[in-house]
Amino acid sequence: MPQSKAFSFDTSRRRRRPSLTPMVDVVFLLLVFFMLASRFGQDVALPLSPAVAGAGSYQGAPRLITVTADGARLNGVAFELSALPDELRKLMPDENATVVVRPDSEAALQDMVSVIDELSDAGIRQIVIAE
Amino acid sequence: MDMQEEERPPPRESIVPMINVVFLLLIFFLMTATIAPPEPFEVEPPASASEGLGEPGQPIFVGAEGQIAWGAATGDVAVAQAAAAWLEGEQTTPLIIRADKSVAATTIAGLLKQLATSGVTKSQLLAEERP
Repeated sequence: MPQSKAFSFDTSRRRRRPSLTPMVDVVFLLLVFFMLASRFGQDVALPLSPAVAGAGSYQGAPRLITVTADGARLNGVAFELSALPDELRKLMPDENATVVVRPDSEAALQDMVSVIDELSDAGIRQIVIAE
Repeated sequence: MDMQEEERPPPRESIVPMINVVFLLLIFFLMTATIAPPEPFEVEPPASASEGLGEPGQPIFVGAEGQIAWGAATGDVAVAQAAAAWLEGEQTTPLIIRADKSVAATTIAGLLKQLATSGVTKSQLLAEERP
């Protein structure tokens, strides 16, 4: 009985190799899709705490930083950003004392983040954001 | 003596098993990856020197004009839904805020207060790593 051609699995030497071009097309399509769809670079993050009435124990002198569009004021007195941590420490009873940061209506988010960065760099991490 | 056999180059590696493996990997990564939903509007996060890494999760988006979105919801509804979703979860990871750097900082302060009133105790602001 002659074998049907569809079921002949004999390994012939002259087997046709699949064409590579469509596969490469598909792979490049996927590559381009993922390159456009993915977001690169690991984001960093800062923890934000709101100022909640009665949430913690606030001790010592008032420490209110008002963030403005061109810098910051500590208890109403304008300071250079780099001078803020030293001025703050004079008012802090201990290292973990809370500092209140309040943006004014002109300040952009980047201004507030810069102030928070400056304080975090100096080791002042108990920061609450007030409205 | 027949030298014909020894002069023939060795047979090429078959390409089909490689394609099989590549597709297997492709399907594996497609199934396991979670595709991030597109941003509802263009958001350019502020630059920060913070060292904390951003947590994965669905963020609250805050646009440059102060528009707020979470999933398909916008405005106060978005804040309420995000807070509700966070409260339903394990509450160990912070609620993520992805805000534009030029948004008024008071918007973020207001958002934080809104979240705190809804019971969200942990939140973080995504930022780009300062070069």
